[in-house]
Amino acid sequence: MSEPCGAVSELRAQLDAGSITSAALVERSLARQAALDARLHAFLFVRREAALREAAEADARRARGESRSPLDGIPLAIKDNIVQAGEPASCASRILAGYVSPFDATVVARLRAAGAVIAGRTNLDEFAMGSSTENSCAGPSHNPWDLERSPGGSSGGSVAAVAAGIVPLALGSDTGGSIRQPAALCGVVGMKPSYGRVSRYGLVAFASSLDQIGPVGRTAADCAALLDVISGHDVNDSTSLPEPPLATSAALTGDVSGLTLGWLREADDSPGVAPGVLAHVREAVAELERAGAKVREVSLPHTRHAIAAYYLIATAEASSNLARYDGVRYGRRTLRDATLTELYERTRAEGFGAEVKRRILLGTYVLSAGYYDAYYRKAQQVRTLLRRDFDAAFEVCDAIVLPTTPETAFRLGEKTSDPLAMYLADVFTVSANLAGLPGVSVPCGLDAGLPVGLQLLGRPLEDANLLRIADAYQRRTRHHLARPPL
Amino acid sequence: MSPVELEMVIGLEVHVQLRTRTKLFSSADVSYGDAPNHHVSAVCLALPGTLPVLNARAVELAVRAALVTHCKVHPCSVFARKHYFYPDLPKAYQISQYEDPLATGGWLEIDAGTGPRRIGITRIHMEEDAGKSLHENGDPETQVNLDRAGVPLVEIVSEPDLRSPEEAGAYLRALRRLLRWVEASDTDMEKGQLRCDANVSLRPRGSTRLGTRTEIKNLNSFRFVEAAIRAEVERQTRLLAKGGAVQQATLGFDAERDRLFVMRIKENADDYRYFPDPDLLPLRLSEQRIEEIRAALPELSDAREERLRREHALSAGDARTLVASRALADWYEVAARAHGQPRTVANWVLRDVLAALRERDAEIEAVALAPEAFATLLRLVDAGRITAKTARSLLPELLFTGGDPEALVRERGLEAVSDPGALEAAVEAALVANPKVVASYTADDAKALNFLMGQVMRATGGKADPARVRELLAGRLAGRR
Repeated sequence: MSEPCGAVSELRAQLDAGSITSAALVERSLARQAALDARLHAFLFVRREAALREAAEADARRARGESRSPLDGIPLAIKDNIVQAGEPASCASRILAGYVSPFDATVVARLRAAGAVIAGRTNLDEFAMGSSTENSCAGPSHNPWDLERSPGGSSGGSVAAVAAGIVPLALGSDTGGSIRQPAALCGVVGMKPSYGRVSRYGLVAFASSLDQIGPVGRTAADCAALLDVISGHDVNDSTSLPEPPLATSAALTGDVSGLTLGWLREADDSPGVAPGVLAHVREAVAELERAGAKVREVSLPHTRHAIAAYYLIATAEASSNLARYDGVRYGRRTLRDATLTELYERTRAEGFGAEVKRRILLGTYVLSAGYYDAYYRKAQQVRTLLRRDFDAAFEVCDAIVLPTTPETAFRLGEKTSDPLAMYLADVFTVSANLAGLPGVSVPCGLDAGLPVGLQLLGRPLEDANLLRIADAYQRRTRHHLARPPL
Repeated sequence: MSPVELEMVIGLEVHVQLRTRTKLFSSADVSYGDAPNHHVSAVCLALPGTLPVLNARAVELAVRAALVTHCKVHPCSVFARKHYFYPDLPKAYQISQYEDPLATGGWLEIDAGTGPRRIGITRIHMEEDAGKSLHENGDPETQVNLDRAGVPLVEIVSEPDLRSPEEAGAYLRALRRLLRWVEASDTDMEKGQLRCDANVSLRPRGSTRLGTRTEIKNLNSFRFVEAAIRAEVERQTRLLAKGGAVQQATLGFDAERDRLFVMRIKENADDYRYFPDPDLLPLRLSEQRIEEIRAALPELSDAREERLRREHALSAGDARTLVASRALADWYEVAARAHGQPRTVANWVLRDVLAALRERDAEIEAVALAPEAFATLLRLVDAGRITAKTARSLLPELLFTGGDPEALVRERGLEAVSDPGALEAAVEAALVANPKVVASYTADDAKALNFLMGQVMRATGGKADPARVRELLAGRLAGRR
C-alpha cells in the first residue's frame, strides 16, 4: 500500500524541488483510496481521470514556472454537499441520486483557479444532518483509528480521508460542529471559519444562518493554506463578509506570548465529559501556558440553552431549505405519482432518510403559526444572549479553550437509537455556529488509543489568530504526527 | 323590517412588475414571449447550492413606487420566506416581505367623478413572482414555465377605503399612471405586469365594523376589476337580503361569461410558515439613499400640470389632459419647443392627436412620429404650404408610421396652390363656368359664394387655401357688379 501523504508544506517543498510530481501525488492518493476505502468508506465519488489530467496540467505549469498558488497540484477531497460543475452532488441522499451540478461552488472555483486537484467527493450524514456519518444513504464511514467506531460527522468522510493519509487536505461543512467534531474524533485539525468568511454559494444548504465551509488538514498550517484560498467576499453570497481573502499563513508566527486563553467553566460542570478527555484538554492548555499564554476562567451562562436553540433554528431552516426537493425539476421523482400531492409525498417519503425526515418535521412544527413565537423567535433571542456572553468573555480573553467533544469516538450503531443523546453530544460545538464565531479543533493526544480534540473559539473575524494558537501548539507537540493503525 | 342601506367596502392588492432588466434575485433576464423556460438560471431553478442576491435596481424602483404613493420608506425591511408547495414555485417558498415591509402608510388621490378623494395605502412590499403552470387541453400532465419565476414585483395594498367599483377602477388607473410616470413599471396589463386582487365586503351604512369579505383573484384589466366587483357586490347583496351570510372565500372571475366562480372556501388562515430569509441580509436604506432616489424622480404630474398652465398659457383642463401620462406630456413638450407656439401645438394635440389615438385605441407610446416632425407638419400649415385639412388627413398615417412630413407632402403633391397666377386662373375658370350663379350674385350671398368656393377647391384638389380663395372670389364678384 502507498504511504500516507504528508503535510502540504512538505509536499510543496518536494514539488518545488522536483523530487515528486503532482501526477505522482495524485496517483498515490488514488492508490491509497483504492486500498483503504473498502474499509473506511470515506469517498462517495472518485475523480480518477479528471484528477490525473489536472495533476498533469499542474506539473506542466510548474515546469513553465507558472504555478498558481501554494496549493497548485496538491490533491484534496471535498464533501459531497459542495457542488462542482459536471460532478454528482448527492449529499448522501437518495433524493439527489444521479444529480449532476451544472455549476461550481465558489470555493471549488477558487480551488481550481489556485490549481488544486479535487480527487474525490466524500461521505457525509445525509444533507449534513448528523454527528456520525451514519445517516448516509450510502452507509457509514469508519474511523481510521478503530474501524468499529464512527469518524464523527457530518464531515466524517472528509476527515477520515485526511486522517488515513489519503489526501493532505479536505473541505467539510460545519453547521453545529460537523467539521470540528469529526476532526477531534479522528485526530486531525478541522476549522469552522467565522460566519461569512467563506462563501456558501454552491454549498447545499442545511441551515443557512449556521452553515460554513471550512478546511480539514493534518496541521493548522495546512488548514491556513486552504483557508487563504477559499476565503474572501463573494458577490453570489449575500451573507459573505465584505472582506478580502485571508492571508493566515503569514500570521503563523508560533508566538502565543501575551495572549489570554479563557478556560470555559461550564466544560468542567458538564456532566457527560469523559475524565480522559478533560485531562488531555487541560494538559494542552497547560502546554500553551508554558508557551507564554495566560489562562483564566470564563463563563458562558447561556450555553446551557445552546443545544435547544440550535436544534430549533437548524431544523426550522432545514425544513425550508429542503422543501425544494419535490421531484419536479431534478433529482429523484417517485414512479408512483397519480396526483400532485402524491408526487410530493411519495418522492419525499422515498427520497429522504429517517433523520432528515425527523428534522423536517421538527422544523415545520417550529415555524408553524402559533408556535413561531414560542420556538423560533425564542431561539433567536437565546442566540442574541449567547453572543453577548461571548462578547463579555472576549473582553477578558483572546480565545476560549474547551474540549471539542465530551467523549472520544463512539461505536457505530451505539447512538443511532437515541437521537437526543446524539444531539446532546454537540454541546461544545453548536455555540460557535449560533454566535458566528471561528472555531478550530486540534489533536491533543490519545485517550485509550482514540484521539482527543482541543477546541479553540475566537472573536468573530479572528480566524487567523485562532490558527496561530493552534499552529503554535502543534509546533510544541507531536500529537498530530500520530498515525492511525491502518 | 325595512331594508338596511348597505355600503361597499373594497380594498385592492395590486401586484406590479418592476421595470428591471433582470430578476429580483438572479441575473436571468426578465423577458416576455420567448420559448418557455428560456430565461431561467440555476437560481431560478432552485438548484442545490444556489443563493439569492438582491437586485439593487428593483429596490430603487420599489422605493420610487413608495415615494409617489406618499408612503414612509423604512430604513430596515426584511425579506421572508413564504412556504407552499406548487410546481411553479421552485424553492417551494416565495421570497417576499412579511413583518417588516419596505414601506407603509401612504395615500393616493382619486377622482371617480364625485370629486377628489384620498385612498389610504397600507403597505408596499417587494417579492418575487412565481412561474406559470399550464394545463394544455386534454393533456393530463402539467407543464411548467419558469420564465416568470423570480420576476421582481411590488405588492401595493390599499386600505379598505374604496366605496364603489368605479372608485376601484379610478384607484387602479391613478396608481398605474403614477407608476408609469416614474418608470417604476411598464404596467402592461396584457403581459401581466399589473394584476389586482379585490377584497369586497358589505356593511350597513354608518357601521364601522367590517363585514365578512371575499377575495377576487387575479383581475388583469380595469374593466374586469369593475365588472367583477359589481358582480360580487350584487351577489353579496342578494345573499344578505335573503338573510344569508357571506362566507369567506377566494373567488375567480370568468371574464368571458362575466361570472364569478369559487376557487376555494377559506376555513382557517393559511399557514405559510413565514420566517426571515437567512440567505438575505435585512434591506437597509439610509435616509440619504432614499433622498437620492427621491431627487432622481422626474417632475411629477401635478408640478408639470402647473408649469404647463403657467408657461404655455393653457387652461387647467387642457394642461391636465396633456399630463395624463408622462409620455404624452413629454411628446407634447418636445413638439411645442420645436414649433415655438405651445398654444397651437396644444390645440392640435388635444384635438387631432388624441382623436387619432382614440380611433386606434392606442396610447402615445404607440406613436412613431417624432414630436419634432409633428412640429414640422404644423409649420407647413403655418406657412400656407399645406392646408390644415391636408395636415389633418395626413396625421393618422404619419402618427403611426412616422416619417418626414415635408417629404411626404412633396411626394404626394399635396402642396397647397399658393401660386397667385394659378389660383386666379382657377377662380376665373369657376366664374366662367357658372355664369348663372355669377349673374344672380348679390352682396353677402353666402350660398353663391360657398358654391363657387367649392368649385375652386375641387379644381385645385383641396390644396388651395380656403381663406385666400374666398378673398379672391369676393374681390372678383364685387368688381363685376
